[in-house]
Amino acid sequence: MKNTLALARAEVMRLRRNKRYAIFTVIIPVALYAVLGPQVKGAHAYGVDYAAYYMIALAALGAFSGALTGNSQRISQERKDGWVRQLRLTPLPPSSYVVGKIAASMALTIPSVVLVLLLGRFEGGVHMELWKWFAIFGAIWIGSLTFTALAIAIGYRFMPDTVQPIAMGIYLIMSIFGGLWFAVSGGFLQDIAKFIPTYQITRIGTDIIAGVSIPMTAFIVIAAWFAAFLALAIVSVRATAETV
Amino acid sequence: MTQGLGATGTPVVSFENVRKTYGKVRAVDGLTMELRPGETVAFLGPNGAGKSTSLDMLLDLRKPTSGRIAMFGSDPYHAIKEGRVGAMLQSGGLMPEVTVRELVTLVTGFHPKPEPVEQTLRRAGIEKFADQRVDKLSGGQTQRVRFALAIVGDSDLIVLDEPTTAMDVETRRAFWDNMKVEVAEGKTLLFATHYLEEADQAADRIIVINRGRLLADGTPAEIKSRAGAKRISFHLDQIDEPFLLGLPALVNVEIRHDQVQIQSSDSDRTLYAVLDAGYRPRDLEVSSLGLEQAFLAITAEDDKNYSEPAAASFAEAEESMR
Repeated sequence: MKNTLALARAEVMRLRRNKRYAIFTVIIPVALYAVLGPQVKGAHAYGVDYAAYYMIALAALGAFSGALTGNSQRISQERKDGWVRQLRLTPLPPSSYVVGKIAASMALTIPSVVLVLLLGRFEGGVHMELWKWFAIFGAIWIGSLTFTALAIAIGYRFMPDTVQPIAMGIYLIMSIFGGLWFAVSGGFLQDIAKFIPTYQITRIGTDIIAGVSIPMTAFIVIAAWFAAFLALAIVSVRATAETV
Repeated sequence: MTQGLGATGTPVVSFENVRKTYGKVRAVDGLTMELRPGETVAFLGPNGAGKSTSLDMLLDLRKPTSGRIAMFGSDPYHAIKEGRVGAMLQSGGLMPEVTVRELVTLVTGFHPKPEPVEQTLRRAGIEKFADQRVDKLSGGQTQRVRFALAIVGDSDLIVLDEPTTAMDVETRRAFWDNMKVEVAEGKTLLFATHYLEEADQAADRIIVINRGRLLADGTPAEIKSRAGAKRISFHLDQIDEPFLLGLPALVNVEIRHDQVQIQSSDSDRTLYAVLDAGYRPRDLEVSSLGLEQAFLAITAEDDKNYSEPAAASFAEAEESMR
């Protein structure tokens, strides 16, 4: 356990030095909110102020894109380079690599989500009770685990050249259909969005702010995706055990 | 420690009839071998002989199709997790975005019997660039960092797969000087190499494999004598082929026009027989075979005796497994 934590700490240190990761998790959501947030004052989405919706959406965007694109690319590259093999030759338990990745990505999601929420509070003028801030943070933070699981599956399955377009494609689908760039409205798009985990994570956030009860389907959709991605990750890690 | 292990008779490594097949290709085909405590063993074989696959199985990166591999009397996985093995593989990589020192410190921390980081850096000859980023190193520097990761702990067995490729002559010498320090501490060393003079100088024992099977196992001197330790060459006007083929201690004979080249395990006996038969060879030359020639002779003979078409595809098979 101590060794796995040491590995996770090293992963955090690496990610902090990685510009690409900072751009996806922190700079894009913060910049989008700073630039676009003030322009939609007065509008509404999902039953809350647009400023509040946009805060939730961009916090989710930073959290999930960091978990997805960062992890999948790195895992794939490190498998190709042989770092995963090298770790297998150390006394470290075999699960440490994946556990370390998850822990590091969870740790690094914190500042990105917190920054956007702070921006929402002080720039966007979003007000609510303290517990709601924590609940929203928790929902987005835990929700991003879904994409960490997917990233592990992709990273173990595909070579780095292939991972890039796959992760990008999923990123776009999840952002657009999940209503992270702009709120989805109207029949068709919303019907699709209901099955997208990023949409449901955002809706949990806005429902908390609006003070309405969260429909059970939101949790079911997220849990179903998480279970599917987790199963995919486990199968992928096992299937490649002979070729690390 | 080492003596004690030897006395109990537990080999450091044992392969019992180990096979690894990929479809129809037999990468390792019934390999049986043993490493005893304190030995320095060179693992030789042509490309595609099954060296990498064997080392991968030894280090629990691949599972044998059949047969048994033991390390310190238990299974390789547990020996590795107890820190009894330090290994460096051709295919092993490094964590990028950290400095050499950070990486060595991290991996040292995983070890139950860690060595001081500074000592590891010094022994691997990497202290000069310890504060550089791992992803900014040259090929030879990377190779030395990978070696450092194999010696971060006080392991009983060190496994090195072609440790000195990408090193210049100077670095290679420094590498072996450092390695001798490790071996002097009583560690068992198994290394695969392409440089046969390295095997000749550093190893107590040489294991030669070809097409996944054990071909020769002995001291460098034994391997050389098995291949025919001496080469005798001369010119002869009247060549009597049956007579030459019947010479004592003969390993191999090649005749080209009036030029005869003999490989012999006892050059004196062979030569005297030629003279006793009344021949007077001209331009007589007797020379020692190096390990390299011995190795080539042994594997060439083995390949000659083997004519299954699958043999040609071993190199490709091993390549495609990567």
